[in-house]
Amino acid sequence: MRERKKSSAVEVSSVKKKKEKKTKDNNEPREQKEKEESQSIMKQQKNTTSRSKKEKQRKATEDYQSLRESELSGDEVHGTDHDVDNADDHHEEDQTDGSEGHRGVEESDSSEDEVAPRNTIGDVPLEWYKDEKHIGYDISGKKITKKERQDKLASFLANVDDSKSWRKIYDEYNDEEVELTKEEIRLVQRLLKGKAPHTDFDQYADYVDWFKYDDALHPLSNAPEPKRRFIPSKWESKKVVQYVRAIRKGLIKFDEPKEEEPKFYLLWGDDSSAAEKANHLAYIPAPKPKLPGHEESYNPSLEYIPTQEELNSYQLMYEEDRPKFIPRRFTSLRSVPAYENAVKDSFERCMDLYLCPRVRKKRVNIDPETLKPKLPSRKDLKPYPVACYLEYKGHKGAVVSISTEASGQWFASGSTDGTVRIWEVESGRCLRVLEIGEAIQYVAWNPLPELPVLAVSAGQDVLILNTGLGNEEEQRRVKDLLHVETPTAPDDNMASIVSWLQHDKLDGIRLRHFKVAFSPLSIFSCIFVLVLDLGLVEDHLLKNLLLALMFTLDGVFGRMASQGRLPLHVFHPTRSIFFVSTKKNIRVYDLLKQRLIKKLETGLKEVSSIAIHPAGDNLIVGSREGKLCWFDMDLSSKPYRVLKCHPKDITNVAFHRSYPLFASCSDDCTAYVFHGMVYSDLNQNPLIVPLEILRGHTSSNGRGVMDCKFHPRQPWLFTAGADSVIRLYCH
Amino acid sequence: MDMNIETPEDQNEENSRRVQVRFKTKLKPPQKVPSNSIAIPSNLTRFGLSSVVNNLLQAVNPEWKSEPFDFLINGELVRMSLEQFLLAKGISAEKVLEIEYIKAVAPQKEEEPSLHDDWVSAVDGSNPGFILTGCYDNLGRVWKAGGVCTHILEGHCGAVSSVNIIKSDGLKYVTVATASKDQTLRLWKVCSGSWDCTISLWRTNDSDAAGNQVSIKKRKGNNQVEEPQLEGEAISTLVGHTQCVSSVVWPQQETIYSASWDHSVRTWDVEMGKDLSDIFCGKALNCIDIGGEGSALIAAGGSDPILRIWDPRKPGTSAPVFQFSSHNSWISACKWHNKSWFHLISASYDGKVMLWDLRTAWPLSVIDSHKDKVLCADWWRGDSVISGGVDSKLCVSSGVSIQ
Repeated sequence: MRERKKSSAVEVSSVKKKKEKKTKDNNEPREQKEKEESQSIMKQQKNTTSRSKKEKQRKATEDYQSLRESELSGDEVHGTDHDVDNADDHHEEDQTDGSEGHRGVEESDSSEDEVAPRNTIGDVPLEWYKDEKHIGYDISGKKITKKERQDKLASFLANVDDSKSWRKIYDEYNDEEVELTKEEIRLVQRLLKGKAPHTDFDQYADYVDWFKYDDALHPLSNAPEPKRRFIPSKWESKKVVQYVRAIRKGLIKFDEPKEEEPKFYLLWGDDSSAAEKANHLAYIPAPKPKLPGHEESYNPSLEYIPTQEELNSYQLMYEEDRPKFIPRRFTSLRSVPAYENAVKDSFERCMDLYLCPRVRKKRVNIDPETLKPKLPSRKDLKPYPVACYLEYKGHKGAVVSISTEASGQWFASGSTDGTVRIWEVESGRCLRVLEIGEAIQYVAWNPLPELPVLAVSAGQDVLILNTGLGNEEEQRRVKDLLHVETPTAPDDNMASIVSWLQHDKLDGIRLRHFKVAFSPLSIFSCIFVLVLDLGLVEDHLLKNLLLALMFTLDGVFGRMASQGRLPLHVFHPTRSIFFVSTKKNIRVYDLLKQRLIKKLETGLKEVSSIAIHPAGDNLIVGSREGKLCWFDMDLSSKPYRVLKCHPKDITNVAFHRSYPLFASCSDDCTAYVFHGMVYSDLNQNPLIVPLEILRGHTSSNGRGVMDCKFHPRQPWLFTAGADSVIRLYCH
Repeated sequence: MDMNIETPEDQNEENSRRVQVRFKTKLKPPQKVPSNSIAIPSNLTRFGLSSVVNNLLQAVNPEWKSEPFDFLINGELVRMSLEQFLLAKGISAEKVLEIEYIKAVAPQKEEEPSLHDDWVSAVDGSNPGFILTGCYDNLGRVWKAGGVCTHILEGHCGAVSSVNIIKSDGLKYVTVATASKDQTLRLWKVCSGSWDCTISLWRTNDSDAAGNQVSIKKRKGNNQVEEPQLEGEAISTLVGHTQCVSSVVWPQQETIYSASWDHSVRTWDVEMGKDLSDIFCGKALNCIDIGGEGSALIAAGGSDPILRIWDPRKPGTSAPVFQFSSHNSWISACKWHNKSWFHLISASYDGKVMLWDLRTAWPLSVIDSHKDKVLCADWWRGDSVISGGVDSKLCVSSGVSIQ
């Protein structure tokens, strides 16, 4: 109560008015005093701080407690009679509080003057005035003297006499007794019960509906709640049944409990799963740096420590090749120094990450087996040469060239030991040895079986020799053919190139070349073949033909010769077409029209051998780098297939005359046999299947197999080796 | 009555299983054992069985000299231990096993080889009195036993490739045919008493000469007409082979068998001049011979190490009934024994002559007397194998006992 009075000037002013009214009823002499008090209070309120207010609050609570005590005991002595009046005054004040509160607020300023609190000491502890004669000062600065204390007995007696004594409270501050009015007591009692202090305040007043419904555009219905709101919904129960059934059938599935993300993740683990986590569309995790190994340990085992020699050898290496990190041993982790390349390494790592674009590669998962071309099995392609059964031994030097006779009964071989040998295929017997004297470069049989004649190229000469095989009539014809009369009158052009002489020792003709420095090799054997095809022509006719050929090809051959290389060439088996290889390309000439028809681009480094399919439309070309090209003349001027099979130079290639076989031999001492089927149907490409690798020859002076030829009728392959052996591989 | 024979194997393995066997034979009494059943260890091999039989024979006849035997169970030669054999063939060991024994076929001794000047290309031993050889030095030779060359047949200018004794009328006259690489065929009629080698005669019976001419002319094949030196146009030419005919035989009057490098074996009707049948083999063939059971089996060898035997009487198949593949290289010659149904020899470029029995897949014996390729081989006198080769030797291995 005091608190309310002291803290707000509003109350004080209101109290003041009422007091004035009441003081007429109460004793007069106090009027003055009260005036003074109110004045002092007013003054005090101006000066007091919040601290003083707090102090008063504390006081008020003390008072309140004492009030309760007095209420319970009812006989506590608080002051004199006028104190009771005072208390009545206060009571009056409080009574007006509730009704006139807000009015007081408005009038607080104007009513301040009228209030005169008696004591002006402010909010100081009252102990300070305990031993003084005064309790404080009034508003004019005069001491307010303490009232005379009644002794306890007297006050007790007074209390006993006074029935209102239980309502009296002693106000220590003003040193007076205050008597609480009945209203105030009632108020206190209500507060103690936890009710609103004023009786006229109805806590549970009826709700007054202030909303006007009549003119509202959207009237809120005040209709009573319908019944349906209070009974369970049929539709809902149906829906529930539906759901229950769906759940039982498994049509509705509840969300599976979410998998808890692991708290910890693998720091060095694969980032591929992390990439899925990131919702980024094209996020590619950076590759992890290499993990440290044992050698990066501070105390690696001894095998990681490089020896002094190794350290020295590092110095000799290029800087890029040097190992980045040299393992060292330390006694403890404490003694490991700072890594000097730390900044450099992390900089490089950053540069790597920054400069190298990371691209997601689309890998197609294909079984490599399915990419292989579907080739027929080798078993179905039999027969082909498989194993060596016969060896033909007798040569003393590397066998350079072999040639089979048309019927396949004999074959001839030329060697660097200066001999040509004629062998019987069946028994391996050497029938004849022809001593030439010079290293043989090429041998060729006459393809006509009636005339068993052999062309041999040795040194600068071409020899046309009688083999001495065949019956007597054949021998007679051969002798006629190989007879040269006295050197004919030198033809202008011809004599400058070649002269025809009778061989002095052997039975045959020697063609001696003057002009050309290079050996013409097999060109003449081929020409010879042509000539013999024409039959026994007159000498000069033959020479003219030769001459025409020579001039046709003079340009090519001259250029090739100037490069120091031997031109390779083949004749078309049926038409008058001639193939000559330059270093990288094949030129195709028409002999009748004497012009270039086509140029085949091999794409090889250096052509070493060519062979033509017996049908004439396909050509194989071997190269120095071990590659084999198959040309389809109808298809393109580029190779149809390139087979990289030999690790070393291919020395020769050969087609079989009747079987769909072709072979290549190489300096790696092997010969490869292929199935090469050419179809008459132009829509079907040739079928090439590698069949067999034929081994057996040994290397000699870095050369392996020098020549290979097929048997004309059997699927057998002759190979001539630098080891002076000829082998026959049979099926 | 049971007899227990102690054999070396028996002593070694006391606890091995025993089989009840009874030995039987078609041999004559001195080589016959009593036909009692005896128990022998089942781990015996041919050698063990042979010593068992020899022991039995010695028990009967103390003067018996032991000799090797070969053993047949159900018509098959025993080539492993008895136990393995029974297991492999599924023969029960509970019953008394009948084992037939025959004399082991293996050459007993090697006679001194007859040296030639060059490779021996052909040999014929069909006359028991002499051996005829052809040689790469263009000569034919006639040898008596013991390496004595009695006659040299001159006349060819090419290496002799084939020789044949055509006819031996009694003891006096022998007609000999030789073929040469010079594409000629020469018939030598020689008197056995005096071999005047300088004469080339056609004094053989007409039919014989013609027949032989046809058959051997095909030797060089390729359907080329050959030119006999003196006279005699070919009576008929058999056309059909596409490559050179490597070998012909004429076992009967009306049929000729030929082998060719075109991978086929053909049977020809002489009268009609047509081929009756065609067996395709897949390899170039070098040699052919007819013999064996009913003189009907065709044996042929070629450009692979396999000796094949066909039975033309089997309908609808051209698969060989037997294949012997112990050689390492081309087979150059094969010959049936003219008495036995089972035995034949083959010569190969690997330098070996092998003696085969149809009843086992292993060779009975391997004659390894040549140092280089063997080009020809034949039987001689029924108990010797003669062979000639690149080492210019004619080897005679005698003592092959085929009953």
